[in-house]
Amino acid sequence: MWSRRCLLIVVIGGLLLPMLTVGCGNPSGGSGVPGRSLEDLSAGKRVTGDQGGDAATATSAVLQGLREMVLYIGSPFLLRGTLLALQIASLAMVGGLVLGLVLALMRLSSFLPVRGVAWFYIWFVRGTPQLLQLVFLYDALPMVGIKLDTFATAVIGFALNEAAFSAEIIRGGILSVNRTQAVAATAFGMGPFLTLRRIILPQAMRAILPGMANDTIAMIKLTSLASVIFVNELTFRSQQIVSQNFKFFTVFAAAGAIYLMLTTVISVAQAVLERHFNLELDRSATSRSVLARFLSIGRDAHPRAAPEGGDRIAVPEPANLMVALGAPTSRAVSGARLGHGSVPNHTNGDSGSAFVVCDDVCKAYGSREVLRGIDMSVRRGEVVTIMGPSGSGKSTLLRLINHLDRLDRGEITVGGALVGYERIGTSLQPARNIARARADARIGMVFQHFNLFEHLTALQNVIEAPSRVYGEPHAAAVERGMTLLSSVGLAHHAHHLPHRLSGGQQQRVAIARALAISPRLMLFDEPTSALDPELVGDVLGVIRRLADTGMTMIVVTHEVRFAREVADRVIFMDNGVIVEEGPPAEVLGAPKQPRTQQFLRLVEREVGTF
Amino acid sequence: MRSARWLIAVVLTGAVVMTLSSPAAAKCEPEKAGANYPNLVGKKIKIAVDPSTPPYTIRDPNDFEKIVGFDADFARAVFRCVGLQLEFVSGAWSGLLPSVIAGQNDAMWSNLYYTAERAKQVDYVVYMQAGTGALVQKGNPKKLKSMDDTCGVRAAAGLGTVEEAAFRDQSKKCVATGKPEIPQVSYPDVAGGVRLVQNDRADVMLTDLALVDQLARDNPTAFERGFAVMTGFKVGVAIKKGREDLLKALGTGLKEMQADGTQRELLKRYGLDPTLQITSETLRN
Repeated sequence: MWSRRCLLIVVIGGLLLPMLTVGCGNPSGGSGVPGRSLEDLSAGKRVTGDQGGDAATATSAVLQGLREMVLYIGSPFLLRGTLLALQIASLAMVGGLVLGLVLALMRLSSFLPVRGVAWFYIWFVRGTPQLLQLVFLYDALPMVGIKLDTFATAVIGFALNEAAFSAEIIRGGILSVNRTQAVAATAFGMGPFLTLRRIILPQAMRAILPGMANDTIAMIKLTSLASVIFVNELTFRSQQIVSQNFKFFTVFAAAGAIYLMLTTVISVAQAVLERHFNLELDRSATSRSVLARFLSIGRDAHPRAAPEGGDRIAVPEPANLMVALGAPTSRAVSGARLGHGSVPNHTNGDSGSAFVVCDDVCKAYGSREVLRGIDMSVRRGEVVTIMGPSGSGKSTLLRLINHLDRLDRGEITVGGALVGYERIGTSLQPARNIARARADARIGMVFQHFNLFEHLTALQNVIEAPSRVYGEPHAAAVERGMTLLSSVGLAHHAHHLPHRLSGGQQQRVAIARALAISPRLMLFDEPTSALDPELVGDVLGVIRRLADTGMTMIVVTHEVRFAREVADRVIFMDNGVIVEEGPPAEVLGAPKQPRTQQFLRLVEREVGTF
Repeated sequence: MRSARWLIAVVLTGAVVMTLSSPAAAKCEPEKAGANYPNLVGKKIKIAVDPSTPPYTIRDPNDFEKIVGFDADFARAVFRCVGLQLEFVSGAWSGLLPSVIAGQNDAMWSNLYYTAERAKQVDYVVYMQAGTGALVQKGNPKKLKSMDDTCGVRAAAGLGTVEEAAFRDQSKKCVATGKPEIPQVSYPDVAGGVRLVQNDRADVMLTDLALVDQLARDNPTAFERGFAVMTGFKVGVAIKKGREDLLKALGTGLKEMQADGTQRELLKRYGLDPTLQITSETLRN
């Protein structure tokens, strides 16, 4: 340890040597020239340099200067100042981060007063000099009876200031994470804070880290501002020495070297953390330690994802999916946890009853009416496909069923219960815990753009909701997750991050993820629209087999053939209303409405080009 | 307004005077501290200093943790005399007086001049007068012999000091008489100001006369004294208003340390002119 430090000192000394020579060549002489001996130094004598000395004396002067500098670096007086700077900076950084996170979330709030307060705080703190803030805290607060000591003032002052800056860095990080990540987490019943902690922040870290490292380094150095409130940190102490012996060069070089050592530690920590949060570098399980991954550099054997063609699914039989869905242990556990008396029924046993009922559903975004009075019901075990041109409100309807968005009018029940609403009198009020309500509804959702959690492996994606929302034991969740991944033919990709998988593979992982919560209803929002044509088949195959298990499903799709083969009923929507509905043979085979006919002609021409 | 400040301060120094301390104080009575100052005894009185002001308050070259200098040693002697304990709290000079006004520290004892402006916020016990000196490069290349010569030259003074104000006032005078104004630089610490002159970034630096003379004496090849201004400024300890017991203790102690020759001795020890001593008095506005 000691030898490491010496090495560091020598290296930094070596860097400073040329500077020192320049300093000695300073024609104005005076205190720029280091003392001849340590005795001179400690006696505070001022040596007015004898200029124009020969090369030998110049060299010895440089060496002497270096020696002095190293002595100053090791002096307890300066080290105490260093420690103080570190204590203040680290405490203030922790406080600033916590407060900054709160402010960032306030800034992102949809509630104007909350947003406004955070904006005002950041505007004020960023806009006023930190020195004045410190003086105010130290010298003005006693007037109202709050007397903080020097150290507390410094920590609080720097933390309050850092909060404003880190809030913006954190907010930038959060905004850099695709919004669809939060939508997916929400759809699986994850509450806002769980979503933030598990999904958003880990992905935001990569954008947040460089800025935070900057702030940390800046703060360590800026603690010198606090000398005005009697904080005797490193810079202040070095200035004090200089004002006594006027040897600014060696003393300040020593202080600079100490700062450099401190900030080097921060820089290294930054590099290590950035590696940790860098998804491109990650190869498999994120549970591997940083060190382990560090050691495996250069002999990483994980191949890039095999092309889809070489990875044809070991086609799971419906029975396999049934097993995957019906793993009794996890069902029992999660059912008990949620207080459900009954285990969801996935069979066609009572196919007569309406499971999803939409009654006069209306939704507008601003002045644009997206849904204008939808009445629809889906029976238990029924597979309904919703078709229609884009903008017809299909996706919005799915989002409303899962309460990812609020209803303007009308109501939707799933299994007889409102999702995230409470009936008070005749009106509906949003439930207090909407996330819990979504979880209780057990609605699995598959998105057009997959929306897999980018920082989690396929398996972690699948087990996230079961273990975090439904409290399933880890081992059981993993076991079932692997079963589900096998059933969609991706067991060997279980430990790959989504960006290593093809679109079709990602969508199959997304289906496994939706199935992992033992859903009573599956919603598919154009599950194949973002896929290359040759990958569509695999995904549709999985959905088809799922339909065969008796799962109640609503599928928004443009795949006419799929609808014809799989759907029990087709609903055609246009411009916010249901235009036509009925068995596929009727709606797709002999559409009555001109709008439906026109759309089908268009879609089939497109399909024909494949 | 600014131009008046320099003069008014000098005039008011003599005008606004109230003597508090009892005329018949005898000698040091440290053992009677408990009876004399029941609210102060046993406590550490916090004295705000900026130990970068040679020869008044500086770090001990042999132990940087220790603060020495004329002011520091004198303060120790005064406190010993009245039987009270002190603690030096060091910070940047511009933060010292605000900390006393706010009550964060009990007194400022760091080569502080008396001005009427400051006396509105703190009480003083003064004990010496100050001279101001102009530090210039060896040979006085700009031939600066008085404040009137400083028009148009690069001038340096400490941040928030009376010298800084003096240059501002002088600059206005220069402009009024058709001469160029003074380009001014303010430094946060004395050593920084010295470097300005040394590196030819400033032509003149205005600071305490004793310090200027010491710098010129110690660095004969680099500096000399351009000129001196006997400003008549009084130097004193500043105490938060309303701290009557502390004011009384300092008044008594200072009187004793002057009477027994301690102040004179300390002035000599730190190379200061003993004639700078003035009879201590309490000044409040």
